[in-house]
Amino acid sequence: MAEYSKIAKGHFTSTGFAKAINLPFQPDYVEFINYTVANSAVASQNIARGFWDVSMGQGFAVIEGYNATPALIFDTVTTNGISSFSAGISLQYGAVVQHGGSPVSDFSISKASPAVVTTVGNHGLQTGDVIVFQNLAETSTTGMNQIAGIPFMITRTAATTFTINWDTSGSNYTAFNTATSTGNIGSYKKVLFPNIYFPGEIVVSAVTTGTTTTISTASQHNYVVGQEVGFRIPGVWGTTQLNELPNNTIPGSPIYGYVISVTDAQNFVVNINSTGFTAFNVNQPFVSAVGLTFPQVIAAGDVNTGGVQISSGSPLYPSPQFSFATLNDSSTINGPAIQGAFVNNTRQGFIIGAGAGTVLTTGSLVGAAGNVIYWRAFLSDLAVN
Amino acid sequence: MQDQEGVLAWVSERLAVAMRQAEDLILRDYIVSAASQINAGGGSNGDNPTNLGISDFSLVATTLDTNNAYKFMSGIEGMDRFGTGPVRSAYFMLSSTELQTDFDGLVGSGFKSQWDYPTNTSALPSEYGSVFNIRVLTSSEAPVARGASKNGNDVYYNTVVGKQAITHINQDGYSMNLIYRDPYYSGMLAQNATLAVKFAQAQAITQDTAIRNLLSTRLSSGVGP
Repeated sequence: MAEYSKIAKGHFTSTGFAKAINLPFQPDYVEFINYTVANSAVASQNIARGFWDVSMGQGFAVIEGYNATPALIFDTVTTNGISSFSAGISLQYGAVVQHGGSPVSDFSISKASPAVVTTVGNHGLQTGDVIVFQNLAETSTTGMNQIAGIPFMITRTAATTFTINWDTSGSNYTAFNTATSTGNIGSYKKVLFPNIYFPGEIVVSAVTTGTTTTISTASQHNYVVGQEVGFRIPGVWGTTQLNELPNNTIPGSPIYGYVISVTDAQNFVVNINSTGFTAFNVNQPFVSAVGLTFPQVIAAGDVNTGGVQISSGSPLYPSPQFSFATLNDSSTINGPAIQGAFVNNTRQGFIIGAGAGTVLTTGSLVGAAGNVIYWRAFLSDLAVN
Repeated sequence: MQDQEGVLAWVSERLAVAMRQAEDLILRDYIVSAASQINAGGGSNGDNPTNLGISDFSLVATTLDTNNAYKFMSGIEGMDRFGTGPVRSAYFMLSSTELQTDFDGLVGSGFKSQWDYPTNTSALPSEYGSVFNIRVLTSSEAPVARGASKNGNDVYYNTVVGKQAITHINQDGYSMNLIYRDPYYSGMLAQNATLAVKFAQAQAITQDTAIRNLLSTRLSSGVGP
């Protein structure tokens, strides 16, 4: 019987990079058509359609595109094709990028604010992607291990460079390069589905004190005006007066702040008067990286639950309208996500990769940036193999 | 639901267990994503976080105490039994079973095996032991971020909770349903029945100062999934 099969459809505009589609199921068959290619002049290497069945194997696809003639032909994709996914704690990272790898064979991190990462080879990342570094010891006593393990949102500046929102210009940081470091074991890897963990606890990368307090974060904070937040700043990072507890004025009562403006995906302002607070210290010693707890900001509610009176003229007015976020991909298949509350943690669906064919060797399955892709996905309850 | 129908009863029982497990996993993942973290630094493996050291338990328990979190369990009074000792009133900590060898290594440094409690009547089946104000539960479903530490080792999320830290919120007046629709209502040919669960709940941290994820790596090697 096939009465419980599931079908979904949709469309998206390609960015030129692999596209993940969230669904309430893991499809076993996917097909798509590239409307832009179909609606354009015939051109070699353009891929007009793609098909995938789970029995082909993950990352494969059958494609239909134009060869050099150009004539429409069938071809296959054997890597970075179409695949299904079910995200969980153990499946959150992509391939490890390290010395001798491909397409990135080495990378370096500069002493700068923000730190600049330069890769040897096209990194393939785009602004908004989240990565985690590991083993950033240039020597046994120098390097950037202080930032190893922090999830960073990257800002793409070129095919071989991107920046991370961290000040590594301090005296305790030494420029890092996988090619010259001891053992060449430094690496980074992409967090495949960072929106699973949004808003989550976010690592603070900078604090600007004043009558209001400006917070910079290492990855997307995902907050909106009216978001109630709490801080956990370990002593070595300086600005401990922001911490939720202990509250010396009202013992036992957590200190929370409200987001009163959002500058961008990694910067926001809270209504805490931090004048006179200890300066934030990002220049942590290299040796302290062992057991170092990072400074964090966490979502603790919003003005609707915090007992704060809101009226016209208040910086928190009107109350936040939680809807599809524009700062990152936090919308869910089940509808708008409530920042500061639970974002669906059980992601599944499929990915259309940017792989090429065996004949159409320079084509891209997911198309070029701006291409409009229409897709359909199926999950059959009866498979006859 | 008819007890006489063996297959149906068996499947219902399994699905009911799966329903509760799904609820636990959703809450687990939520806590991983949203609760504050403390990186273990009391261990000796040179990673970040380090493996668990006794001082890490003390730090996280003190943090929750300072934040006026409520403990789950009252203490167990000492008894005149060889090898046992009293157990403090405690918070719960959920850890991975992969850390059990590390806990064994802390026996003598402050970790008390559940077997060394004066009485086991209040111990849960999954309880491995206690340290200071923390009673440790282990599960193979405890969250682990593979290869996520400074040195690329697995990071274990040891969630320490106070009583008022978490809850789930019912929506539409219920939290979850186990549903049975007989074949007549499940398909035109009345061949298949439907047995399903559905959830209508949101997980919530009600007091974020009363919960901490104590992140750690592992000292012992060669033990794993």
